[in-house]
Amino acid sequence: MTASILDGIVLGLQFGVLAAGLTLVYGLGGVLNLAYGQIAVVSGLITLLTMEAGLPAVPAALVGLVTGGVLGLVFDLTILQPVYRRHGEARVLLSLLLTLGAAFVIDGYLNWRYPLQGLNLRITGDPLVILGVRMRMGSVVASGITIVVIGVLFWLFRYTRLGRAIRSVIQDEEGSRLVGIDPQVMMRLILVLSGVLAAIVAITRSMVAPVNVRAGFSLTVLGLIVTVVGGLGSIPGAFLAGLVLGIINSVASSYIGTFLSLIILLVAAAITIVIRPAGLLGVRE
Amino acid sequence: MSGRALAAGTSLVGGVETRVSRSLPRLFGSIAAMAALLALVPLWVGDSRVRMGVAILGLAFACYAVGFNLIFGSTGQLFLCVGALAGVGGYGTALLADRAGVPLVAALIISTLGAALVGGLLSWVAVRRSLGVIFAGIITLIFALSFENLVLGASTLTGGDAGIQVSAGSGTFLRQRTAGYYVMLGLVVLCLVVHGLLRRSRVGWAFRALRDDEVAAELAGVDVSRYRVYAALVGSAMLGLAGGAYALIAGRVSPTTYGFAQVDVVVIVMLAFGGIGSLFGPVLGAVVFTILDELLIELGQLRLLAYGALIIVLFLWIRRGVIPTLAGLVRRTPGSPPAPAAGEEPG
Repeated sequence: MTASILDGIVLGLQFGVLAAGLTLVYGLGGVLNLAYGQIAVVSGLITLLTMEAGLPAVPAALVGLVTGGVLGLVFDLTILQPVYRRHGEARVLLSLLLTLGAAFVIDGYLNWRYPLQGLNLRITGDPLVILGVRMRMGSVVASGITIVVIGVLFWLFRYTRLGRAIRSVIQDEEGSRLVGIDPQVMMRLILVLSGVLAAIVAITRSMVAPVNVRAGFSLTVLGLIVTVVGGLGSIPGAFLAGLVLGIINSVASSYIGTFLSLIILLVAAAITIVIRPAGLLGVRE
Repeated sequence: MSGRALAAGTSLVGGVETRVSRSLPRLFGSIAAMAALLALVPLWVGDSRVRMGVAILGLAFACYAVGFNLIFGSTGQLFLCVGALAGVGGYGTALLADRAGVPLVAALIISTLGAALVGGLLSWVAVRRSLGVIFAGIITLIFALSFENLVLGASTLTGGDAGIQVSAGSGTFLRQRTAGYYVMLGLVVLCLVVHGLLRRSRVGWAFRALRDDEVAAELAGVDVSRYRVYAALVGSAMLGLAGGAYALIAGRVSPTTYGFAQVDVVVIVMLAFGGIGSLFGPVLGAVVFTILDELLIELGQLRLLAYGALIIVLFLWIRRGVIPTLAGLVRRTPGSPPAPAAGEEPG
């Protein structure tokens, strides 16, 4: 039991980062990016190809992070432009459809060109004993990186001018425009950040288990579940829900069966929507 | 597109068909004409087992597209689990009939009801909240993936990746190519009749009202959430029925028969091509893309890329649908008034 809970925390930290990237973009611009998982997969693949070209793991991972950021920027400059011109539900619906199309384009290309590739970063080292459970070094390193990322995100949003500017756009787009913040620029920055977060998830995930080129939609769906449970647009909610669902997922996988774990998460998301539509820490609209 | 419709939100999928004919003979006449045309297909390809298989699958997709149209086109709920709901019908029918010994017709009916219940439940969960349209997209996508995981994981029942042979229906007329085709065509007609009758009823009026302007519809006394769930129930029943019948006729189901990448992406393209919200658009789209898909079979995985690109192109530039746009161009002959643009309601 302790082992599954610890595994769940490792997974949950990654869920949190995954959902943070989705929820930030939604909270800021009312845009839902269904190609988010594909951005993660492409970043992971580029990391792999860079390593195969002879670069060590750390610089290759940095190349992967840059890839994620660039992909986010490309999305912002291309298919999201017509989305920004719409408002309310029409904006979300158009963003769902266009990013879904983009996701299929990326999936189709990857399945055709790299059908069998998978990123698997092996972190060697003796297992660490935590609470009497031997944790693999990969899991420990991955969790360490994720915790640092979460810390940086909190610092960014709480203590920097940029973070305050972004939060003000989330709260009141018109008001922030009046005090001289350009929501378009903030949106662009957030999409780049979201791409980098997707890349971080792909890279840290690959330290625990291989990330396959077909994983795009499952990553998006996991991110969506965590986002819904945590509350659309809430970053603390994303991390809290990530941890809770990570533990649920891990315990359910080891005691009930891996193939049912997604159904259990779906039910968790459905119950959350019915009982508390705004999510755990979301703001009621 | 008027500013009001833009502000209303769901205008993205609305406004294709502005006037619905109240004439019953005209409705049944046009459905019969279309059915008669499609009934000629076996004369053309009937001697080829492979081509008949493709034609039957094409008709199944026509049903899927009509069901999806009823949910998405009428009420703006983006259901991303078309394949999964058809799979509930397909695997449900196969397992009930083969494993549980339920009579074939009863198995089909129970699975159809099952699919309707699942679709209605997903919609009911989604409309709990003011942002129902978005939640429908999210929760159905989650369901689609959960269903795929379930089918792959519960391999003792479903055969996992390889799928299962469906022995129910073997030895009956369903497995004779032409008869199977006509059964499927009958289902297409059934779906069209149901959708056609709904459109000209009070329900259709409510659908158009909530699609064009949700707030105004609510103010006019339309229970928007309830009608969304109704549309999801009926549409999902169509998906489940077509999926179940296809399993009986094809004699084999596998995860790719009802896969997200194999069904949903194609159905969205078919509907967007044929004209969202129109009665015959989904069937025309299904016919066009069944033929195109056969021509593009050599592309393999790149077909997925092509469909993804088509979704982007269709929703960015040809939102009315290719067929309605072409029809509008043809109608715009000198001397006659131009066809009304998408979203413009007369009056």
